[in-house]
Amino acid sequence: MMHAFESIQLAQLAFPTEMSTSVLAPYLFVSAAMFCIGLVGFLTRKNMIIMFLCTELMFQAAGLALIAFGRHHLGADGQTFVIFVLCIAAAEAAMALALVVLLFRHRESLSASAWKELNG
Amino acid sequence: MEQIISPIALYLICALGAAGIALALPRRASSKTFEYVGVILVTAAFGFAALLLGLKASDAGNPMPNFFFYPFAFVAIGASVRVMTHKRPVYSALYFIMTIIASCGMYILLSAEFMAFALIIIYAGAILITYLFVIMLATQAPTGDGDDELDDVDAVAREPMLASAIGFVMVGLITAAMFGGIGQLPDSKMTQAQAANSVLVNLPKKVDKILEREGLLADGWRVSRDTQTGQAMIDVDDRTIQIELIEGDTVSATRLLTTDDWPDALAADNIDRLGFNLMHDHPIMIELAGVILLMAMLGATVLARKHTELEEALKAAQARKLGTMFDDDEESSGGHA
Repeated sequence: MMHAFESIQLAQLAFPTEMSTSVLAPYLFVSAAMFCIGLVGFLTRKNMIIMFLCTELMFQAAGLALIAFGRHHLGADGQTFVIFVLCIAAAEAAMALALVVLLFRHRESLSASAWKELNG
Repeated sequence: MEQIISPIALYLICALGAAGIALALPRRASSKTFEYVGVILVTAAFGFAALLLGLKASDAGNPMPNFFFYPFAFVAIGASVRVMTHKRPVYSALYFIMTIIASCGMYILLSAEFMAFALIIIYAGAILITYLFVIMLATQAPTGDGDDELDDVDAVAREPMLASAIGFVMVGLITAAMFGGIGQLPDSKMTQAQAANSVLVNLPKKVDKILEREGLLADGWRVSRDTQTGQAMIDVDDRTIQIELIEGDTVSATRLLTTDDWPDALAADNIDRLGFNLMHDHPIMIELAGVILLMAMLGATVLARKHTELEEALKAAQARKLGTMFDDDEESSGGHA
């Protein structure tokens, strides 16, 4: 049990040792759980702002999985990809929130079902 | 490779989580107690699953995740459930910051320090502030503290049971697929020392600086560079460094520093590796990211611009005003000529 309490090893001080799959698995599970919570939120909530927050939650889960896999392979690619995920998330947030403001001005409502007639 | 966690236990946990989510989702009749019970149920189910994974690993003699992983995981999952179930968007946004901070803790445990702090700065600092601004800009009629006054948009979820079931199936599928395949993951291609220091070969100036600081380089000496690639002549596995004396443009002497001389400070840290990887391996991605951000900025500006409807008379007045301005300009420029 003692090794579970080992101090946090920062890469700045010493390069981390290899990470086994048994350590990787719980991180992946948390990532999957967060992703699905975000997905369910996107499907159920009516408020557009909360829907977009839930997509951010999914981005976050993807980032966690990328970092965990990158750590497992001792490479920096996972972290590099998280930078791009952040970049896309920022772009998405800007566009989505501009859309929310625009749609709110038209209907005076944040409900996604206020735009039902757009269903093609 | 056997399954890491037995499928039956996994599906039970997922079902428990789905029930918790269905309970926690907002609806008209639900009380605060229901919500809290739901959140606790989901957190407990998923946290318990993570704990089970760790305990199973420790039974088999495999390493467990760091102890601090568990509090971070609980907070991350609990806060993300609150993000999706809270009736008031402002609280959702604040709980999202909590999720971010918990995942930053996990990033640090995964020795991605730079990304952890970048995440706090960008997400909690920039993106969430944008969200808060929009929540303030686009709010419906103000309501009091009571939940009864909330609009249907916030107080009622669409198809909570169905969506929870979908979530349950998704978690079950994703985790079953992941844990089935995790045994086939290839081992890291690099050894630990190689992974830590392979980037140093590409950073001869940094090596120079560290060696100078450690007092290993006399005046005029530097690390030998490969004539073709410009890489530093370091052997990471044997821990030897070749240095050379430069006089004018020519190398007049070379010497080999052996393992005993290898300074402890000579190691690539997280930012070195990340920066080198970003700039050396993915240069086009950076350009693309720049274009995407620029386009998003433009698009957001165009979308959120306010269209002001002027009446005909006002439009005419505006046009006349602009017209006189142009006339004035012409007259004045004519005068000068």
